[in-house]
Amino acid sequence: MAPPPSLQVNLSPAELSFIRSSLAQTPPIRLDHAKGPKDFRSMRAECDVLPGANGSARIALEDGTEALVGVKAEVEKSQWRPVPGESARLTAAGEVTMLDVDDAADKDENTKGKGQNSWVEISVEVPGFRDDDALPVFLAAMLTETLLASGELKDRLYINNRFHWKLYVDVLLLSPLLSYPLSLLSMTTHLALLTTRLPALKSEKDEDPLFDDDWDASVQLYGKERQQIEKPPVIVLAMAVGSNIIFDPSKEELAVADAVLAVACTTSANSGGRIVSIRTVDPPSHLTPPGVPNAMNSATGGKVPTSSADALTQRELLSNSGVWTPPRGGMKRSLLSGIVKMVVEKGGVAEEVIEALQRVEIG
Amino acid sequence: MESFSLKRSTVADRNQPNLSSKVYVRSTKSGKVQKIVRELYLRQDIPCSSNLCRECLRIAPKDSADKVAPFVLSDTPAGSKNYPNGQYLVPDTNAFLNGMDLFEVETAFHDVVILQTVLEEVKNRSLPLYHRLIALTKNEGKRFYVFFNEFRQETYVARNPGETINDRNDRAVRKAVQWYNQHIQEAVTARSKKSKRVPSVVMISDDRDNLRKAKADGIPASSLSDFVSGLENANELLDMISASQERQEIRSGKTEIFYPEYFTMSKMMTGVKAGTLHQGIFNVSPYNYLEGSVHVPTFDKSLLILGRENSNRAVSGDVVVVEVLPKDQWKAPSTKIIEEENVNKNDNPEAEDGENIISERERRALQEEVKRVHGQTTEGRPQPTARVVGIIKRNWRQYVGHIDRDSVRSTSKSSRQQQMVFLVPMDKKIPKIRIRTRQAGELLGQRVLATIDSWERDSRYPVGHFVRSLGELESKGAETEALLLEWDVQYRPFPKTVLDCLPPEGHDWKVPADTNDPGWRQRKDLRDLLVCSIDPPGCVDIDDALHARPLPNGNYEVGVHIADVSHFVKPNNAMDKEASSRGTTVYLVDKRIDMLPMLLGTDLCSLKPYVERYAFSVLWEITPDADIVSAHFTKSVIRSREAFSYEQAQIRIDDASQQDDLTQGMRTLLMLSKKLKQKRMDAGALNLASPEVKVQTESETSDPVDVQTKRLLDTNSLVEEFMLLANISVAGKNYEAFPQTALLRRHGAPPKTNFEELANQLKVKKGLELRTDSSKALADSLDKCVEPSEPFFNTLVRIMATRCMMSAEYFCSGTQAYPEFRHYGLASEIYTHFTSPIRRYADLEAHRQLAAAIDYEPLDPSLQSKAKLEGVCKNINVRHRNAQMAGRASIEYYVGQALKGKDITEEGFVMKIFSNGFVVFVPRFGIESLIRLRDLATPEPEADFDAENYVLDIKVGKGRKVELFEKITVRITDEKEESTGKRKVKLSLV
Repeated sequence: MAPPPSLQVNLSPAELSFIRSSLAQTPPIRLDHAKGPKDFRSMRAECDVLPGANGSARIALEDGTEALVGVKAEVEKSQWRPVPGESARLTAAGEVTMLDVDDAADKDENTKGKGQNSWVEISVEVPGFRDDDALPVFLAAMLTETLLASGELKDRLYINNRFHWKLYVDVLLLSPLLSYPLSLLSMTTHLALLTTRLPALKSEKDEDPLFDDDWDASVQLYGKERQQIEKPPVIVLAMAVGSNIIFDPSKEELAVADAVLAVACTTSANSGGRIVSIRTVDPPSHLTPPGVPNAMNSATGGKVPTSSADALTQRELLSNSGVWTPPRGGMKRSLLSGIVKMVVEKGGVAEEVIEALQRVEIG
Repeated sequence: MESFSLKRSTVADRNQPNLSSKVYVRSTKSGKVQKIVRELYLRQDIPCSSNLCRECLRIAPKDSADKVAPFVLSDTPAGSKNYPNGQYLVPDTNAFLNGMDLFEVETAFHDVVILQTVLEEVKNRSLPLYHRLIALTKNEGKRFYVFFNEFRQETYVARNPGETINDRNDRAVRKAVQWYNQHIQEAVTARSKKSKRVPSVVMISDDRDNLRKAKADGIPASSLSDFVSGLENANELLDMISASQERQEIRSGKTEIFYPEYFTMSKMMTGVKAGTLHQGIFNVSPYNYLEGSVHVPTFDKSLLILGRENSNRAVSGDVVVVEVLPKDQWKAPSTKIIEEENVNKNDNPEAEDGENIISERERRALQEEVKRVHGQTTEGRPQPTARVVGIIKRNWRQYVGHIDRDSVRSTSKSSRQQQMVFLVPMDKKIPKIRIRTRQAGELLGQRVLATIDSWERDSRYPVGHFVRSLGELESKGAETEALLLEWDVQYRPFPKTVLDCLPPEGHDWKVPADTNDPGWRQRKDLRDLLVCSIDPPGCVDIDDALHARPLPNGNYEVGVHIADVSHFVKPNNAMDKEASSRGTTVYLVDKRIDMLPMLLGTDLCSLKPYVERYAFSVLWEITPDADIVSAHFTKSVIRSREAFSYEQAQIRIDDASQQDDLTQGMRTLLMLSKKLKQKRMDAGALNLASPEVKVQTESETSDPVDVQTKRLLDTNSLVEEFMLLANISVAGKNYEAFPQTALLRRHGAPPKTNFEELANQLKVKKGLELRTDSSKALADSLDKCVEPSEPFFNTLVRIMATRCMMSAEYFCSGTQAYPEFRHYGLASEIYTHFTSPIRRYADLEAHRQLAAAIDYEPLDPSLQSKAKLEGVCKNINVRHRNAQMAGRASIEYYVGQALKGKDITEEGFVMKIFSNGFVVFVPRFGIESLIRLRDLATPEPEADFDAENYVLDIKVGKGRKVELFEKITVRITDEKEESTGKRKVKLSLV
């Protein structure tokens, strides 16, 4: 997807070239020179901001980008659908079948695979954009995709054969679009989901659900008793410049990226980090204006290429001259595996980010 | 970071001491589940309302008139042994739940602080108790004050993490008591340095844990029973504590379960929605206490519920959920009379061990039933039988009864030992109630009011507690009050707020002489019409008056004038609300319980003769053939020329020498009414009968002296016809003006199945056919049900047919489709009640609607809301039925009293036959009574019951056959039952 106009930076080819070359050094020097390649921008986070929502969180980045996420859960009637291998229970729709659960202990087992994608609905609102503009739609799709990828979340929304929770996640960017917000929105969503509580169920089996009216008795969607279960995934942005990998790029850094990856990762207590999904994001660097080398500039005594084909050939030769050329995209296999490794390894980015967010909830 | 946070803390923090919030989950009817957050703004100006406190008086909020609500709690509250300086009581929720009857006692429990926490908890636990509590706060003499402790900053308690709601609420109660004590102490000190009398604020709780914690914190606290023990007449008061709490503690050791457990609420709701379970009201058969029925919307016929185990602790009137049993367990409805008092005579209320839900004798009775059912073919085919799996709503009320003499161990009046006794309710459908009392000796032979507290799975009978004694059995006062209580008739005098709504002139009120007075606005002057009223003798609340006069074109002008009650009773004032809740005036043999205060009912509204009165008139132009040419409605002023009794009017009409205009008018009315009646009959109106008798009482003592059946004169039907005509005309007008909200009355066509049994009985016994396809067909076939030798037979059939009908009901026109408006009995398309606004609330509402329909005055908003009108209809339907029942019960009681000590032989008719007895109806006294086989001879004679031919062949002496509809001679005596001390009319075969 092409980056929206507001994400384009007004930097001259020379400035772009300078940023790129400093990022491409070993070790890279980032725009905020105090940060290493794996360092995130500092942020302030807070959870349970909205009293009326089932869960909520707010995160503000140091550059002023701020997001608010509210999670609302509603009971919804499930559509009856036949389950293969249970033909004996294929009675008319609407008929209640009191399925006897053998053991309450394996209830989690029972809900496995019963969740449906439509039970989670995410809407993203970005100031200055209509809700059918490409950016919000794309962001919402990315967030939805990562949340549903593992199937953990939707299975957790299963109540019984006839009812489920429907989760509405409302993502709101509070500030103007100062940097590419995907990672921020994802982290805020993650935090909001961690604090989400659902009213405690009192009824059994396939009865119409009945809930405890005490809010203190409500259960966490990602509760402590489900420690072994994966946390909601978080999307981190990683960009490649030359052979360097840089996480959580700022707006200017993104403008010189060779390629950008959105990596959705999660952790669980026993198995450490895990990649849920990866997508490439079209970096804004593609649209930056190319620098004009002296050799091609008549004002500096150069020779203007005669045809566009000629210009292309000449530019091919320029690649290592230091004159800014928008990158063509694509990423080497080794870089990709490098990113994956850095994300999932023990003490890697995934663990670090998720642990940090976990601490927000406790603190 | 401070500035970053947007969060509103849920716990009152330093910065916002007056702000807190409350979070809970709300499940809506449509199945939505919402998290609700309520912000609480804590304040400091909620007064303690003690007259001792000056500070609170200063800060208390003022109303729009700049007045502070008067303080409630006395400055010299009553003391007790432990708190000699006086006490304010602060009961917790359990105290109210267990001892509401105690708090209502006039002689004790004054100066009570009801905490908001407690009030809300009571509301959640029991709505009826909540309403009683609210009523108590309105009772000025009791000095009950609701303190909003959750809104006062000092007494607000935030819930600790991990604390249960109950514990938090208990803590809130303790905190409030602590604050109150400190506050009163300060108030007294501020008042005068010397004063030493500082009342204690005492928490009343039945929760041991709460009491222990209060003790630890040094808060004065007492359990309900400990507190009551310190009062005078403690024995009576102690009996009034609900039994449920004590029981649990006593019986926690042994748990033998007699009844199956109820389903969970969610399971029942799911089942009902899905159609696998059914919801309905549980009704017990009046002849067999072990047989109940539940009518559910899914089926035409009621589902049968047999035996104690299947009825599973449901009490007649409860809303229950039932499950249909498998077909092999279906039974036929019983043809046998089973009465609890005979089967279970020897139960011991104390014994709990080895008690079975079905006693040996009950089992035998049921066994015989089953045997009989199995040997049967057509009649008494097994019917769908169900069992109760849960209770949606208990409809327990207070029950009147008497103590079973056999259940009392020691009858000595001096003994103060607590013992378990049985209370046998007057209503046979209600099981015996086990109550614990210390005054068994005194209560024997008394009418006693008691309530049911609980019915646990491990108890065969429900457990309840004593409320109060009404007086001796058979005394007029006690019996009258008993039947008023049984039928929930509000008989207390009108409160002051109601009397304040009356015109200040009182009996001196007159129609203003000046026709420019606002009272004359849009009122027709009909004072020169020759109006008269015809009512039963001695009637003082005259609702209606009539007139008729010839018109120049040969037609007649006929007017029905109804008392203009709506002029005096304005919507939504205290009097209107009281009338609305009473719904109707109740007529007992010796007493009338008015819907409106006497001043209105018997004077200002009553269309008394010779004085001018406001009226609401319906004027018709009617042809000599009784066809309506036009109808006109108007408010008016009339002057009735004479108030006749039916008999006087009849005599005057029949007297040919009377040729004055008034008598001529009455003759015209009579002539027209006969034609109207014929038209109605042709349209299919039913002529039904109910056994009506009149009790003649001695004027001084109102002791009954004689019983007579009512005589019907032509003038009765004269009045009736024109009232029907007025009602129908008004119904049409109101419906036209307010198609959605007209208050109407309908009488549904009875389902065919209702008549099945009667039709079969007539066919088998008399070879008569009862056709029920329309009201016309039914009316015609009822006319043919005659036996030349027995004129009463037709009436008997009509009485029985009446019992197969649905009851008529009020409804709001928006809730039904037009064809459903039909009044089956009157064969009218549309009908309402308009003609008796003094004694029926429905008529008053109809008056208001009609006044709005003719643009006399705007319609009150309460009459425009369908929901509100539906509520009104529901209430007046119940009140109407209860009033009828109370009236009948009163007649029954007086008939019994009139027959006391007599021995009469009378003719009677067999109405119903069982395998071990039959029901006989005696027209002379309008009584209906059961003759059991065992009453005929001892030991109980053998009998063959032929259910198909309705014959009971009794093998007594040389043998005797009793058939349905047979005319037999019975001996009427009265007897006092030994075990119950109850006087009953007893019939026996001659």
